[in-house]
Amino acid sequence: MKRLLVIAIMLIAAFSLCASGSSESAADDGTFKIALIIENTIDDKGWCQSMHDGITEAIAAMPDKKIEYSYSEKMLPVDAGSIARQYVADGYDLIIAHGAQYKNFVLEMAEEYPDVSFAFGTSSEIGPANVFTYMPESEETGYINGLIAGTVTKDNIIGLVGPVDSGDAARYNRGYVLGIQAVNPDAKILVAHTGSFSDYVKSSEVATSQLSSGADVLTGSSQQAIGALRATAESPKAMWVGQDLAQLTTEEGKAKCIAASSYNYAAVVIDLVNRIESGVKGGECIPMNFANGGFIFEYNPALEAEWVSPELKELVASTIDSFKADPDGTLATWADVDYSTL
Amino acid sequence: MLDILTNMLAMCIPFSVALLLASIGEMFNQRAGVFNLGCEGVMAMGAFIGMLIPFAAGGGGAVSQWYNFFGFVAAAALGAVFGIIFAVITVTFRAPQGIAGIGLQMFGVGTAGTLFRHFVGGTQSIPGIPDIDIPLLSKIPFFGDVLFSHNAMAYLAYLFIPVAMYILFKTPWGLKVRAAGTNPRAADSMGINVTRTRYEALMLGGALAGLAGAYLSIAQAKMFSDTLISGRGFIAVALVYFGHWHPLQIMGGALLFTFAQTFQTIIQSMGISFPYELAVMLPYVLVIVVLSFTSKDQTMAPSSLGKPFNREIRT
Repeated sequence: MKRLLVIAIMLIAAFSLCASGSSESAADDGTFKIALIIENTIDDKGWCQSMHDGITEAIAAMPDKKIEYSYSEKMLPVDAGSIARQYVADGYDLIIAHGAQYKNFVLEMAEEYPDVSFAFGTSSEIGPANVFTYMPESEETGYINGLIAGTVTKDNIIGLVGPVDSGDAARYNRGYVLGIQAVNPDAKILVAHTGSFSDYVKSSEVATSQLSSGADVLTGSSQQAIGALRATAESPKAMWVGQDLAQLTTEEGKAKCIAASSYNYAAVVIDLVNRIESGVKGGECIPMNFANGGFIFEYNPALEAEWVSPELKELVASTIDSFKADPDGTLATWADVDYSTL
Repeated sequence: MLDILTNMLAMCIPFSVALLLASIGEMFNQRAGVFNLGCEGVMAMGAFIGMLIPFAAGGGGAVSQWYNFFGFVAAAALGAVFGIIFAVITVTFRAPQGIAGIGLQMFGVGTAGTLFRHFVGGTQSIPGIPDIDIPLLSKIPFFGDVLFSHNAMAYLAYLFIPVAMYILFKTPWGLKVRAAGTNPRAADSMGINVTRTRYEALMLGGALAGLAGAYLSIAQAKMFSDTLISGRGFIAVALVYFGHWHPLQIMGGALLFTFAQTFQTIIQSMGISFPYELAVMLPYVLVIVVLSFTSKDQTMAPSSLGKPFNREIRT
């Protein structure tokens, strides 16, 4: 027994030496190391995938830099601290905890490791000197999708399947309402939340409920929206406007999603890397909007001709241009939208 | 107003099927004296294997309905295997049922997610099974939409309720199950093989939980993700208590829970000024309230529920 214990201790010691040795050598050769912590998976066709895709695109866009990237999926906030400490021990320069639910552990870690940069979002808070936050001003993408929904609806009933009424989802949903009202003030807007970011069944039930109530254009945000899109695909007449470009690649998205917008996290990640390398380790909030390239918008090429009139296309283009010209003022009243008055 | 009511009731039938199947399966488990908190994990495995077969056959595109049928069969078979595993742990080795159930739940959800990532990848959907409008009956105003325009599994699940009642109350095997859960020592003295009966009940319960999971992935959401079940397995366990271990009352509980779910969705969509957080909680609060008021009325509870049986030890 004693011999076994000694062997185990020796193995652990040898492993630890190897591990610390590799991180040291990586840190010395100028490699910039990024770690991503997410609560779902990198291929969830929603929130987590958009950040993962953004990081890989950012790395590809900076070929002159030597960047190493690792990610940890399925990390609940209570588990995230241990994996983040591992990343710190391995010499990572930037640890992105993708979700507002990680705020507390990030703030704790930031205090403990002042030389490492952390980032979390969505949040508009200004964090400590080594914490970045990012906030998609997604009322802009919601507004664009609302313009489309309000224009293409035939029955004047439009559905919205939200996850929870907070963060960027709240901004997107209210922007969607404003967009619909801008082009179709008589439209009835059905708003319901599932209370979850990842309950696909419940989002499909909410969408089915709204379809049964006559909605003929729907949208939804976060990864749970895939369930609502799947339910929409069951309806012969209903269409969808998406909050993630990955939705356009699904079978139901190809058939039902008229257009989609997406967060361009590549721009955020490039910005973060550049700031950290210039000596700024945090203490800033990076907004995401059309003006700074934080959003991408695309039509579905298979549906564009049938569903998007030249007038609508012009309206969408001019609206995006107005957002780019005045990112702070155009939709400043998004928070005033009251669902109970719809 | 009638339209809203019709829509709500029409959604109740198909949306309640997964809970109904899982809770009827759990009822057989508990009637035999074993409660299986791992129902969630078995459902996850059923949902995964159920979706995998039509997905593998068609790559997410249209496939013959036979593949969906095979998906359901595979889910039931896998669920039965999980039932046997649980029986080995709790009946043969007499491990604490609560802890073993939690372990099975974690194992099932984790394994389903891992296998899904390996064999399928990211979130994927399938065409699933279509709704069937029963000729003539589906045209009846109100009742046509509510009762006669659903998918085949929904009809079968509800037709299984009288079958479950017959099995439980009218067959020798049902009597053995009830005896094993009520007084296993007396059952043993009458020549009933309690261990075997509990194994059989857990196999049946597991098969029904597997079917319930496959229903979610093939018939309802028509997709799989490792968060697909999202606590429905635990709700199914609660519904067994809610329904006093009786198939009809469990069906009532499943319908009531689903009605509350659709009702809260309608409340939100109608724009009624009511915090959505409270609306989302409504079905769960309802279960807790009903359980609280009925907790004293436990005369139907199998008196040996949760107690391992060892014929060599007199208790």
